[in-house]
Formats: sequence, structure tokens, C-alpha cells
Amino acid sequence: MSITRIQNANAFTGTIPADNFANATLDNVTLLPNAPLGDMVLVSSATASSSASIEFDLSSYKEYKFFFVNIHPSATTGNPLFQFQCSTDNGSNYNTTITSTHFRAGHNENDADQYLSYNTGKDQAQGTSFQSLTDGDVGGDNDQCQSGMLQLFNPSSTTFVKHYIGHNNSVHANDVCGTVFSAGYFNTTSALTNIKFQMSSGNIDDGKILMFGIN
Amino acid sequence: MPHKIVNGQQVELTEAEIAARAAEETAWNAGAFDRAMIELRSKRDRLLAGTDYLALSDQTLSAEMTTYRQALRDITNGITTVEQIDAITWPTKPGA
Repeated sequence: MSITRIQNANAFTGTIPADNFANATLDNVTLLPNAPLGDMVLVSSATASSSASIEFDLSSYKEYKFFFVNIHPSATTGNPLFQFQCSTDNGSNYNTTITSTHFRAGHNENDADQYLSYNTGKDQAQGTSFQSLTDGDVGGDNDQCQSGMLQLFNPSSTTFVKHYIGHNNSVHANDVCGTVFSAGYFNTTSALTNIKFQMSSGNIDDGKILMFGIN
Repeated sequence: MPHKIVNGQQVELTEAEIAARAAEETAWNAGAFDRAMIELRSKRDRLLAGTDYLALSDQTLSAEMTTYRQALRDITNGITTVEQIDAITWPTKPGA
């Protein structure tokens, strides 16, 4: 395989010394610049298939970023919401104390209603329930699902509480586009060891969750 | 079999986990009416707020708008089930 290697271009004049042009075979290349690796690492991913929940172990990354891609509930019975909680005991219990906010914007497909409001029913004040990341019921039709993201900050800290910020968009069963911002903190100085995602009712029929760690 | 996914791997739920999940869903479903009422009041309050400016002291509220706003205030009267909430017909906003 023939390649051309260029080194030492003068950034000011654009001049490239003639002796730095070299055609060579790949076998003769002894130095290639390092590709920038960055500090954001895909730690794990999961694809739901009528799954009751999706769980991940947390370790010592300073920040985790989760992407939710086309999360689709198994049914709309019970008006399911997409929720999460964290464990401090290696997944034995998911009931860590949360104080959170939850506000939303919505718009009907038929343009009949638009709104922006605080969502009193889905925030928590020192609660231990699963925290909703969506609003209303995520629709179960094929054109209805939910996508978005969640950031979790320094879950392994044993000094401070652990903040999270979630931003998600869903299509409700009544064809409302619902955008939700939910943020808050796990009010514990114990390390968060695991995170769990589920629907409030029924299974996660389909969809993918990507988990990135950032240092 | 009911399962969960842990770190990308499918794991069957234990009997205890199945029972715990069923209890969670039962509790969730038991709160359906309360959640629906919160949503109902939220929408009612939003629609009322959308016409509040017409009720300021330097405005004259029309009879149609008065009726509309009263209907919104009364929208929760007699509601005892989720099915009733789902069947609500919202009053039509008169031309402002």
C-alpha cells in the first residue's frame, strides 16, 4: 500500500520542505500522530426487549452521560413514565433520597394546546421514589416514544450530594410533544453504586440506552 | 421470562424481584386518579390564566367569557374517576 507522508509544514508560509515528501509503504511508517482520544468513554449500552428495567454499575467517573434513544413502552396502561433511581448498596435497594425539580413544555399535534409549566406532581422533596424524566404518559403507538439524555455528576463522591440534569422529549399517547427538564440531587454523601431505568408501569418494549463516562 | 438488563446483559428476574415489581405497579396504578387530577387542574389553571388579562379592572369581561371562565372553575365538580377525567369536554374559549 502506497501512502504519502508530509511532515514539518511551515504553518506561516505553507512551505513544505521537499525532502519531507516521501512515498513509502505502510510497513515503513514508524510514527503516526496519536488520534485524540478525549475523556468521554462509552462505558456500556443496552437495548431493551420487553425488559422490566435497565441497570448499570457506576464507578469513579466524574460525570456520567446517558443517552436514551427511542425508548418505547410495552403498553400505555397505567400511563407509564420513564423513571430512574440510584442505589448506594450495590443494587440491593433503589431508594436514595432525592430532591428535584420538574418542568415541561408541551404542544399538541393538532396545534390546539401549548404550555410551559412547573410539574408539581413529578418533583420530589426528600422523596425516595423513582424520579420521572418524562411527563404525561409515553405513548405506546409505533410513532410514539421518548428520547433524551441524563447527566449524573460525580456519583462516587463521599463528600458531596450528587446532582443530575435530565432533558427528554416524548410523544404522549394523546399525540402531545412533551419536553421535560428535570434536575435535582441525591441527598446522600454515600457513593452511588448503581443506576436503574424503568417505566413506572409495564416494560420497556424497545429502545437503547448509551452510558458514557467522563473524566 | 421477565427479565432486566444489567450492564448490557439480560438477567432473569427472581421471584422476589417479580413480586417487588408487581407491588410497584400496583402502587403506581393506585395513584392514577390523583395524578390525573393534578393534570386536570394544571390545564384548567393554564386556560384560566390565559384569559386573566381580560378580567383586569380596566377591562370589561364579556358574558361569554364570564361563562367560559366559570365553566373552567367548575371543571372538577363531581369528578371521581379517571374515566370521567378522560371524558371531559373542555369549554370553548369565546373570541376575546
